[in-house]
Amino acid sequence: MKRLMSGNAALGEAAVLAGCTCYFGYPITPQNELTEYMAKRVPEAGGVFIQSESEIAAINMVLGASVAGARAMTSSSSPGMSLKQEGISYLAADELPAVVVDMVRGGPGMGNISPAQSDYFQATRGGGHGDYKTIVLAPGSVQELTEIVPLAFDLADKYRNPVIILGDGMLGQMMEPVSFDNIKPPKEYPKDYILTGAKGRPSRMVRSLLFDTKEEEEHNWKLFRKYQRMEQNEVRYDTFLLDDAEMVVIAYGIGARIAKGAIKRLRQENLKVGMIRPITLWPFPAKIIKEAAQNGAEFFVFEMSAGQMVEDVKLALEGKGHIHFYGRPGGVIPTPIELFRVISRHYYQSRRGKK
Amino acid sequence: MKGSIRIDQERCKGCALCIEFCPKKAISLSGTLNLKGYFIASFKDGGECTGCATCAVMCPEVAIEVFKN
Repeated sequence: MKRLMSGNAALGEAAVLAGCTCYFGYPITPQNELTEYMAKRVPEAGGVFIQSESEIAAINMVLGASVAGARAMTSSSSPGMSLKQEGISYLAADELPAVVVDMVRGGPGMGNISPAQSDYFQATRGGGHGDYKTIVLAPGSVQELTEIVPLAFDLADKYRNPVIILGDGMLGQMMEPVSFDNIKPPKEYPKDYILTGAKGRPSRMVRSLLFDTKEEEEHNWKLFRKYQRMEQNEVRYDTFLLDDAEMVVIAYGIGARIAKGAIKRLRQENLKVGMIRPITLWPFPAKIIKEAAQNGAEFFVFEMSAGQMVEDVKLALEGKGHIHFYGRPGGVIPTPIELFRVISRHYYQSRRGKK
Repeated sequence: MKGSIRIDQERCKGCALCIEFCPKKAISLSGTLNLKGYFIASFKDGGECTGCATCAVMCPEVAIEVFKN
C-alpha cells in the first residue's frame, strides 16, 4: 500500500518500523515534521520520545540510549548538526551504534532554510574531533529514504558506529507516494557491550578516555581496521545510462534527481551523457568512477554547494580524467533545464577540444 | 472575477508548485516570511482568477482554498 507522505514523516515511520525505540530531537526547519511525527508515533509504538532542551542534549541522550542497547535516533539540520558533532565523536570513540539525520539547509552560520548540500565535508570527514569516520547515506527520493533508514540502523549495529543520513531541505519537505511494505522487523545483533547492570557477570565499561597513549593508539588502529572493512563491504551507488556515456555526471541526493531530468533532455538531443550517483558518500564509490575514466569518459560534478564532493571525485580519479564542475550554493534550487544548458555547453566545448 | 483563492500562510512552504501551474500566472512568491521561515505564495495584485482550482490540486500541503463567485 502506498501513502502520500512528506520525506520527514516517511523517515519517521520507517525508523519506527525498523525498530527505533528512542528518538530525541530539538526542532529546526526543515526537519520539524520528523520531530512532530515522532512525538506522536514513537510513544504509540511503546518507545521513548523526548524533545530535548538543545541539540547537544539530544545527541547525548542518543549516546545514553545506545549504551543501554536501544535503537536510537536523532535528527537536525545544518546548524544543529554542528552542535551534535561532539556527541558523534564520542559515539564513534565508544563504538556505539546510532543514526543521525541531517536535513541540510543553506549555510554557513544561520544560513537559510532552503535545500543545500553544503554539509558534505562535515558528514564525510567525521565532522567532530579525532580520527574517526561515519557511514554517510544519501537518499535521492522519499521512497529511497524509507529504504535507507532500516539499512542505516543495521549498518550502525553491524559496525557499532554512528551512521549519518544526509538529506536536504527538499527531501524532507517534498511529498511523494511511499510504501513501507519491504521493511522487515529488525535483526538481532549481539549486544555484549551494553550496560544493563552487572548482576551475575563481570562489570563492563564504555569509555573514550584513554590516557595511556599506547592504548589510545591501539584503539585508533582498531577503529581504522573497522573503517577499512566498511570501505571494502559497504560501498553503494546507482548508475543511469552509464554504458555508452562520454560525459558522466556525478551527483548525489536531490542533486542527482535534478541531474536525471537534465540527462533525459540531453539524451533526446543525442548527447551521450550518463550518471553515477553515490548512495554512500563515505565510503565513496571510487572504483566505479575510476572504471568510467578508463573507458575515456569525462566527468561533470554537480552539487548544491560551491564544490565539496568534487574533491572526492578528484581523489578517486588520481589525476586521470577531466572534471567539469557546476555548483549552486546558498539554498538555490537549480532546474533540470538550467542544468541541461550547462552540461550541453561543457559537452560541446570538450568535444571541440578533442578534434 | 470568476474566482478567488485563500492561502493558509502557516501551511505554505514556498514550494512554488501553484505558481508553476496557475494557467493565468496570477500567483507569486511574496517577500513575507511565515512562522516557519518560508517565503509564502500570494495572489498577485491585479491577477485574474478563473476559479479553476489547479493551484489547490497541486498544493502538496493542502494550503489553498478556492472560491467560485
